[in-house]
Amino acid sequence: MIRYTKIIFIFAALAFSACTDLELNPQSEAVPDVVFQDPDSYKQFLAKIYAGLATTGQQGPAGSGDIQGIDEGVSSYVRMLFYAQELPTETAQVGWNDQTIKDFAFHRWNSDDPFITGLYYRLMYQITLANEFLRESTDEKLDSRGFSDEIKDEVIIYRTEARFLRALAYWHALDLFRNIPFFTEEDALGADAPTQGTPQEVFSFIESELLAIENSLPGPKQGDYARADQGAVWALLAKLYLNAEVYVGTARYDDALNYCSKIIDSGAYQLNPVFRNNFVADNHLSPEFIFPVAFDGTRIQGYGGTTFLTHAPVGGAMDPANYGIDNGWGGIRVSRNYVELFPDETGEIDSRAIFFTEGQNIDVTVDNVGDFGNGYAMPKFVNTTSDGVAGSNLSFPDTDFPMFRLADIYLMYAECVVRGGGGDMATAVDYVNLVRQRAYGDNTGDITESDLTLPFLLDERGRELAYECHRRTDRVRFGEFTDKGTWQLKGEADEGTETPAWRNIYPLPSAEIIANPKLNQNPNY
Amino acid sequence: MKLKLTTFLVLFLGLGAGVFAQRTISGVVTDAADGEPLIGANILVVGTSTGTITDFDGAYSLSVPADAKQLEFSYTGYQAQTIDLTASDKVDVQMSAGELLEEVVVVGYGTVKKDDATGAVNAVTTEEFNKGAIISPDQLITGKVAGVQVLSNSGEPGGQSSIRIRGGTSVNANNEPLYVIDGVPIDNAAINPGGFQGGRNPLNFLNPEDIATFTVLKDASATAIYGSRGANGVVLITTKTGKVGERPRFTYSTWVSVANAAETFEVLNAEQFRNVVTFAQPQNLELLGNADTDWQDEILQTAIGQNHNLSLMGGGENSNYRVSAGYLNQDGIVRTSNTERTNFSLNYGQKMLDDALTFNFNLKGAFTQDRISPNGTIGGAVAYNPTLPILDPGSVFAGYYEYPLSVLNAGTNPISELEQTQDYNEGFRGLGNVEVDYKLPFIEGLSAKVNLGFDINKGERRRFLPSTIRSQLNSANPGEVRAENYTRRSTLLESYLTYERYIDAISSNLTFLGGYSFQDFNNAFPSYVANGLPNDFFGNNNPAGATQLQVNNSVIENRLISFFGRVNFDIDNKYLITATVRRDGSSRFGPENRWGTFPSAALGWKISEEPFMAGISNTLSGLKLRLGWGITGNQDIGEYNYLARYKVGDGLAQYQFGDEYVTTLRPTAFDPALKWEETQTLNAGIDFEFLAGRFGGSVDVYKKTTSDLLFTVNVPAGTNLSNRVLTNIGSLENTGVELALNGYVVDTKDFQWDLGFNVAFNKNEITKIDGSGDDFLGIQYGGIGGGTGTTIQVLREGNPISSFFVYEHILDTDGLPRDDQTDFNEDGAVNLLDMYIDQNGDGVINESDRVIKENALPSVIYGLTSNMTYKGFDLSFTVRANTGNYVYNNVLSGGSALQNVTNRSAPPTNLLARGLLTNFEEPQFLSDYYVEDASFIRLDNITLGYNLSLTNNLNLRLYATGQNLLVLTEYTGIDPEIGNRATSGLPELGIDRDIFPRARTFIFGANLEF
Repeated sequence: MIRYTKIIFIFAALAFSACTDLELNPQSEAVPDVVFQDPDSYKQFLAKIYAGLATTGQQGPAGSGDIQGIDEGVSSYVRMLFYAQELPTETAQVGWNDQTIKDFAFHRWNSDDPFITGLYYRLMYQITLANEFLRESTDEKLDSRGFSDEIKDEVIIYRTEARFLRALAYWHALDLFRNIPFFTEEDALGADAPTQGTPQEVFSFIESELLAIENSLPGPKQGDYARADQGAVWALLAKLYLNAEVYVGTARYDDALNYCSKIIDSGAYQLNPVFRNNFVADNHLSPEFIFPVAFDGTRIQGYGGTTFLTHAPVGGAMDPANYGIDNGWGGIRVSRNYVELFPDETGEIDSRAIFFTEGQNIDVTVDNVGDFGNGYAMPKFVNTTSDGVAGSNLSFPDTDFPMFRLADIYLMYAECVVRGGGGDMATAVDYVNLVRQRAYGDNTGDITESDLTLPFLLDERGRELAYECHRRTDRVRFGEFTDKGTWQLKGEADEGTETPAWRNIYPLPSAEIIANPKLNQNPNY
Repeated sequence: MKLKLTTFLVLFLGLGAGVFAQRTISGVVTDAADGEPLIGANILVVGTSTGTITDFDGAYSLSVPADAKQLEFSYTGYQAQTIDLTASDKVDVQMSAGELLEEVVVVGYGTVKKDDATGAVNAVTTEEFNKGAIISPDQLITGKVAGVQVLSNSGEPGGQSSIRIRGGTSVNANNEPLYVIDGVPIDNAAINPGGFQGGRNPLNFLNPEDIATFTVLKDASATAIYGSRGANGVVLITTKTGKVGERPRFTYSTWVSVANAAETFEVLNAEQFRNVVTFAQPQNLELLGNADTDWQDEILQTAIGQNHNLSLMGGGENSNYRVSAGYLNQDGIVRTSNTERTNFSLNYGQKMLDDALTFNFNLKGAFTQDRISPNGTIGGAVAYNPTLPILDPGSVFAGYYEYPLSVLNAGTNPISELEQTQDYNEGFRGLGNVEVDYKLPFIEGLSAKVNLGFDINKGERRRFLPSTIRSQLNSANPGEVRAENYTRRSTLLESYLTYERYIDAISSNLTFLGGYSFQDFNNAFPSYVANGLPNDFFGNNNPAGATQLQVNNSVIENRLISFFGRVNFDIDNKYLITATVRRDGSSRFGPENRWGTFPSAALGWKISEEPFMAGISNTLSGLKLRLGWGITGNQDIGEYNYLARYKVGDGLAQYQFGDEYVTTLRPTAFDPALKWEETQTLNAGIDFEFLAGRFGGSVDVYKKTTSDLLFTVNVPAGTNLSNRVLTNIGSLENTGVELALNGYVVDTKDFQWDLGFNVAFNKNEITKIDGSGDDFLGIQYGGIGGGTGTTIQVLREGNPISSFFVYEHILDTDGLPRDDQTDFNEDGAVNLLDMYIDQNGDGVINESDRVIKENALPSVIYGLTSNMTYKGFDLSFTVRANTGNYVYNNVLSGGSALQNVTNRSAPPTNLLARGLLTNFEEPQFLSDYYVEDASFIRLDNITLGYNLSLTNNLNLRLYATGQNLLVLTEYTGIDPEIGNRATSGLPELGIDRDIFPRARTFIFGANLEF
């Protein structure tokens, strides 16, 4: 009897004294104080911000996405940039039934568009990550975590790179959405919703940030491949100034020209002798790249980036093996208007005319865009090396994406000259001819000073830079995106029609407008 | 085995009984009212396990030890009698139907007399269970309880289910009820490691044959004792066990099943398909073959199943026990699909110290082995070109026919994929507990109880895709082995005190309960994916040499600590008061929001006990009014969501720094202010009973309001580390009425017929989504096949969850939707304006023109159960019906576009015969035409059985059951009941897409008992 009573009391005692500890820490993830005991974590966190340009989450190719509520593949930085920059122009048409994807071609997107939403959130995510990095790597935090000066010096460089990546995302956001929320590392997480920055505010911030970090980074091509260096900062400054008139109404062509010159005069970059070798599996060897986004068949996988760029334009009678890929997605093609930018469609004259025409109609219409057979295919990006050998993985290319490359800078220089930003007309013509000589294989395509006009430059930029996510920005700067300029499918007309100028910028996503009542939607959306 | 087990038990339980002098008692047992013999009445020598039952003439004969003093006579529905033995060897007994045995229902941490229950509590016992080839226990009560919807997510044997008790109370958190098995709350989250589809129901480890009762606690006054886990209702399962003093009874039950697909999709046959291609796109004729293959027929099979169960139960003087073992093997109707289960269970109870101390020991476990057919098989078979042959001897695809690799966007031969995929799930789940109940001396009425339990669920899903499957051959690293392991452990410690006392002064019965509970859940999910296997011979056994390997692990833990209490007052057996409170602490929330208090109160008034009712008590024999109020919570939202934390990227998501590839580290979004969802429930009910219980029923009305709804919402950019964060926002409401009726329609000696009917009306509405304005389109979800990321459902204020979000299609004069190739509005352009209503009149059809049309939740659920017995025969059936439930017919929307055959960028795919009616060139995925009324009446199961009493102690029952024999519906797909497709996150109900079809099953079974 007494024995049993004892047992019961032992049980009861056990029960009522059992722990009330509800503080359970994650075991296969880690809280910040654990993670940052290891200085390598800073490098890995920085790598995440870079990776935000290429991958979509913590599991390759997909599975643990950064952006929620949309298909992970459409949260890819480069892929969504392509949707926003190329699909509404003459360079790319797509026939999939993916939600609202055709709205780009038809210039009828609205604020609920999932792709625009994905792009917006990707850009804001990059900024948020960079801010968080800057908050976690302050001197106080580094000191409190007891790191050596050596490590601290390293982390200071990382901070600079994080600021570059933030400026890059801000620039894209300014260009695409113009009136965006403005927040920095000073705005803590969970704080009040950020207010809308004026374009001038954001412009000045990007400018001041880039100027501030310019001299803290390695010289052009002096640092690691795929990390930002001074060349990348200069290229971004040049881009910012070139479009300053569009962004803030003040022309800054002289500043743009200045930074183009810095890049060119550094002598660190040369045109790749073969145009197409900029878009192949071993394009990391290209001497022309200023800032690439790295992809790799085994280490950096995703359904955006060059996976998209190599697979989406392959369909119809095209043999995927020729492009180093497992299968085509039968998606994007070009309109007749793009083909007609070239002297001929075979590429024999201008090697930049990379069209696949067999079994393809040159024309694409509103009704038949769903069929891959309409419109020529342009397999510009491929997953074969310069020697024609397939990349390491047929599903996920090794091909890197050139965010900034020298040919673009040459053409920007020329444009600055034409737009009165100073510089020298003869040099401008020379630069343009360098680009054209590579395309033609000889000097038969050379131009003279009288040829160097703005319309010529818009076309030339199309020929040189299509699919590299510059087209919409260029067309807006040349005033030929909406209310001027027509091409097939624009405005949902077979041969194209003008659309209202307010479509020069994209709407903020409706989800963001709801979440942040301090923001005003862009006009007319 | 049987012998051994018995020996073991005899030794273990100390049942050994010597041989004593015997004498034989005989007699006849009759009904006191009409003198008719009672067949099958139990006779037991009191204090022993010796007993028998009466034969067809009500006669019995029993050898009893010479020293036997008393015989106990019992018969279901009659009052038991104990007769003192005299010198006479003849004992005739007349039994009176009189008062039924006082029915007791299980509630949280105790039991209550059914008459005294104050909450909405429904118990379903063995006799009422659904019959058939039932693999998952939850299927036992489909259609049996008003307001409980049990929806199997597919026809896979042992596939997952969604259970909704009075509608869903949440959007993001789990909507499934809490299961408590023999006192142990279990983790019943579906396991789909790595997002693998086709996972099995985690309840499968429990053999339906071992279950004695299912008790469903529906309203908060009943569930609030489970606090933060009670919002979606609680299902208490008790397993069978022996009775003290009962003779050993051995049962063997078995069935074999034969199942076929109840229906298949009507698609074009080879000839029709060729004709359509010839007409619409002759260029594609080159992609046709000369075969005539019915792909659906090829992937389906006649599924055979068998089930065997052995059990032994009984009791000693102070003990009771039951042991059982079972084996089940059931094929699915899609070839290769199979589930196999071996299970055992042991219940043992021992009373000591003059019954003051009771030990109860429960242990049950099962090994399950499943083979899972590939997820897309049905959709693949519906769509695949019927002119192609199955085989192509010598092909690189292991001899199966496939389009050459150079053909882009080609689907895969469904047979090739089905037969070559080796996808297995192997698991073990064991659940056990020890309960010690001690009536404390010195204080009358006070007892203490300690319950220690564990639940271990461990297994592995392993899939092998050989390099000869088309999609593998097409990939960079052909050949894949993927292994997803899971280990889920929970430990439980509960202790509570009960004090029960009758107070004469106020003629009241008082019961107090107070306790403490600790439960810890620790889960780990290690996995790997190996691609690029050096060869195919090792199947899923050896990934060595793979060219690409991804490994991962996720370890999560959560803990729940609670204090709870309950008071029951029973005043004068007329007025019943119950109040409960539970204080729960959960590790899932931050320190400020960790603890929550969940109270409830209920009143019952037994009106029929009032003097003024005495006059009609012969007719209206029972009438009780119940009122209940309570607050329950929901915390089933995943772990660590309140904490800042970093997640390491895998080897395929690195980034390049020069020559080095750097692993990435990502900070995760979090909300430090996260707190429970709270559901407040009001319930009012009336229980009534006529003619001494011959007819009875209940009516309940309720309103459940969930606030602080946990919702994954968009946050202002820059304020958190993702665009969406799980946070508390919004509220949801369910209102409804339930009616349950049951009674003996015919009640004669030879023929009995009882009928049970229940009907439940529920209305679900999202009453608030914080911060959303009038123009907010809502949160879109519910992915469909057709276009990346296309969704068909929406969550919006003022509408139910699972609402469909579509364009309104303009119908032509034949009632068919307008096609997409005609300029109906004569504006010179053929576009969406010709087909769809431009809701806002802006001249464009876009997102803003989508409207909410119907939803997937049924507005009324009906269940009808009938049991008839005529002498040895019995016939029972269950009929269910739902109305107001709609389904998006994704099979039709995907199989209707002529583009399927005219497209030049992919080989032609098959069309549904019905799809030709609409004449769409392109698929019109967002058309409301595909939102179909899926109301139905289903004959769920019908059973005909025959009982033979072979000898006094030997009973044999033979039966045949047909399951899913008949469905009446206007829905045009193959089955109107569409379960949840999502493997995580928001449940996606009512989207008919690639569903494993439900079988029509015939079962032949036998139960042997002696």
